Amino acid sequence: MKIFKSIKWRLQIWYGLILVAVLIGFGLTSFQLERNRQFRRIDEELQRRFSAITMAVRPPPNRGPNANRQSPDRPLRIQRPEDSPTLNGGWLQSELHLPPQVLALFDSGDRNKFFYSIEFRDGRDPVRSTNAPIQLMEIRDFPPGAPPAEAGRPPDVRPKLLQPATPQTSGMIREIVQKMPQGMDTVVRVGCSIATELKELQITALKLAGVGGVVLIFGLAGGWWLVGRALKPVTIISTTAAKISAGDLSQRIDMAEAESELGQLAAVLNSTFARLESAFAQQRQFASDAAHELRTPVSVILTQTQAALARERDAASYLQTVEACQRAAQRMRKLIETLLELARFDAGQEVLKRLTFDFSQTIAGCADWVRPLAEDRGVKIISELSPLEITGDPERLEQVVANLLTNAIQYNQPAGEVRLKLEADNGLAVLTIADTGQGIAPDDLPRVFERFYRGDKSRTGGGSAGLGLSICKSIIEAHGGTIEVMSGQNIGTTFTVRLPKQS
Amino acid sequence: MRILIVEDEPDLLTSLAQALREEGYAVDTANNGNDGLFNAEGTDYDAIVLDVMLPGMDGWEILRRLRKTKKTPVLMLTARDQTRDRVKGLDSGADDYVVKPFDLEEVFARLRAIIRRSANQTTNLIEIGEVTINTAARNVLLKGKPVELTAREYSLVEFLAVHRGEVVTRTQLYEHLFDENESSMSNLLDVHVSNVRKKLGADFIATRRGHGYCIA
Repeated sequence: MKIFKSIKWRLQIWYGLILVAVLIGFGLTSFQLERNRQFRRIDEELQRRFSAITMAVRPPPNRGPNANRQSPDRPLRIQRPEDSPTLNGGWLQSELHLPPQVLALFDSGDRNKFFYSIEFRDGRDPVRSTNAPIQLMEIRDFPPGAPPAEAGRPPDVRPKLLQPATPQTSGMIREIVQKMPQGMDTVVRVGCSIATELKELQITALKLAGVGGVVLIFGLAGGWWLVGRALKPVTIISTTAAKISAGDLSQRIDMAEAESELGQLAAVLNSTFARLESAFAQQRQFASDAAHELRTPVSVILTQTQAALARERDAASYLQTVEACQRAAQRMRKLIETLLELARFDAGQEVLKRLTFDFSQTIAGCADWVRPLAEDRGVKIISELSPLEITGDPERLEQVVANLLTNAIQYNQPAGEVRLKLEADNGLAVLTIADTGQGIAPDDLPRVFERFYRGDKSRTGGGSAGLGLSICKSIIEAHGGTIEVMSGQNIGTTFTVRLPKQS
Repeated sequence: MRILIVEDEPDLLTSLAQALREEGYAVDTANNGNDGLFNAEGTDYDAIVLDVMLPGMDGWEILRRLRKTKKTPVLMLTARDQTRDRVKGLDSGADDYVVKPFDLEEVFARLRAIIRRSANQTTNLIEIGEVTINTAARNVLLKGKPVELTAREYSLVEFLAVHRGEVVTRTQLYEHLFDENESSMSNLLDVHVSNVRKKLGADFIATRRGHGYCIA
């Protein structure tokens, strides 16, 4: 389902679930605390009354030296037929009179108030307050019988503070039910209706649920707002990315909160977009330049042939036309080859040979090769080459050296010099080719490695299309090396090639 | 009509010059920007064909400097065909442009157009009495019948017709009808004038003594 794939919805659902769990936990705890508080209050009341009753019905405390006597000196409040030491017989109902201060603790008229009930095992009618519920909890564990007296051990009737049993709840009633120690067949029950309290607790529960619901609604709304706010940059990013994907490369993510984690992401994306745009622009420029370079030779072919065909001509004139067309076609072929070469380097498809060879010999070979051209222009080539083994593609590197050397001769002054130097430096082979030409203008210097860039805007300089140095750069970089240029006006230009010995 | 071509690609330059000469123009050439500007400033050409990418000084710079002194119609040859390049060219004072690679026919037509416009003509037809000159077809009709003229004769008629009513000096005619290699042959002009008079009528071209020639 789509809704579960949305981060916003998933966050909202998780957030909602946690909020609900917290609210339920909090509500239940509050309810439990309130309930305990109420019950503790009731229980205290119950225990007070229970103690009062048990104090009233139990034998009088034994004081003095005859504390071991089984029978109290006198019945305190309960009238007995005879001052019998045995209490097993229990009391007669008619004889059981609770003192008024005890009775005052129970309100006989109010069914919701405290009641008492004293029950006997021998079936005598229980003594109870008038508001005691008729149906009382059945006493299941009524003791099966009093321990027989003949056991030789009379029941322990020592007066002691009777520990009240734990109050328990049965229906709408909370009560303490306890057998009296002095008479195992007597059960004292003190209780009260907790209908009011239960009702109050119910209301409390409803209130808690209500408050919880309101908190939940506000929490979810707030969460929705927060999630929306937190995810807003994501929306901005995706909108921008969509525009870029649609072709508008100039789009950038507008990030007001550049401090956040998403801000960093946006910054990274923006720089990626910028590089993408410049790569595209470069590509466009490259294609446009390539087309531009092809226009001139095509123009030559068109004008030459159209002029030749305009009228009848002699053979020499046709020959001139054909020769001009051939020159144009060869220029185009060279251009196309160079472009394809560059494209292969760009795509990383150009496979370089990996041979170990003496680079100085390659350079010396190139120098010999260009010497006729140098002599033609009165340029002197001075070599200072130390033997140096490197690993790489000898033909490609030869191409670089030949290109740089040809440039150094062509752009030199008459009777100028070209200095060639190869030395090892820190695991690198460093080749410098310095000429004494007029140098490259400072404006042009940073751009000489750009494709189709020509300092003098002419296309006659050696018939080059301004791609030679681009190719050199591609080859050197494919070897893991670098190529740099330094130039001073009227001092000369120096190209420095650094190649790792093991590329 | 005399034209200057400034173009650094030698094969393109020779074929353009040859083709324009065969069209009857007097053609001068320059293969770099500095020579191009020098020629353009020193001579009253009827039109200049100017390449943009030139060694020395590029076409835009030549145009900018030339426009300070001369209104010579300029046809730019450009390899860039983007709108901004065309706008730049026209705004810098070029009268028209042709994008490489071009057809010769188109270059001819555009040259005729800028020359015509510079003489405030709107059509290719010039009618003078019984003579009709078609500058596009480069022919002349007398009473509706075609008259055979050599290329140079036609150029003379056309130049005088374009400057109809004005007295055109011999120097002007030399400048516009002959290129820099043939201007020494001083009596050539008189030969052409007399040939045209034979073909189109003796009073078609009037001689203003001491000034030059004129078509009324």
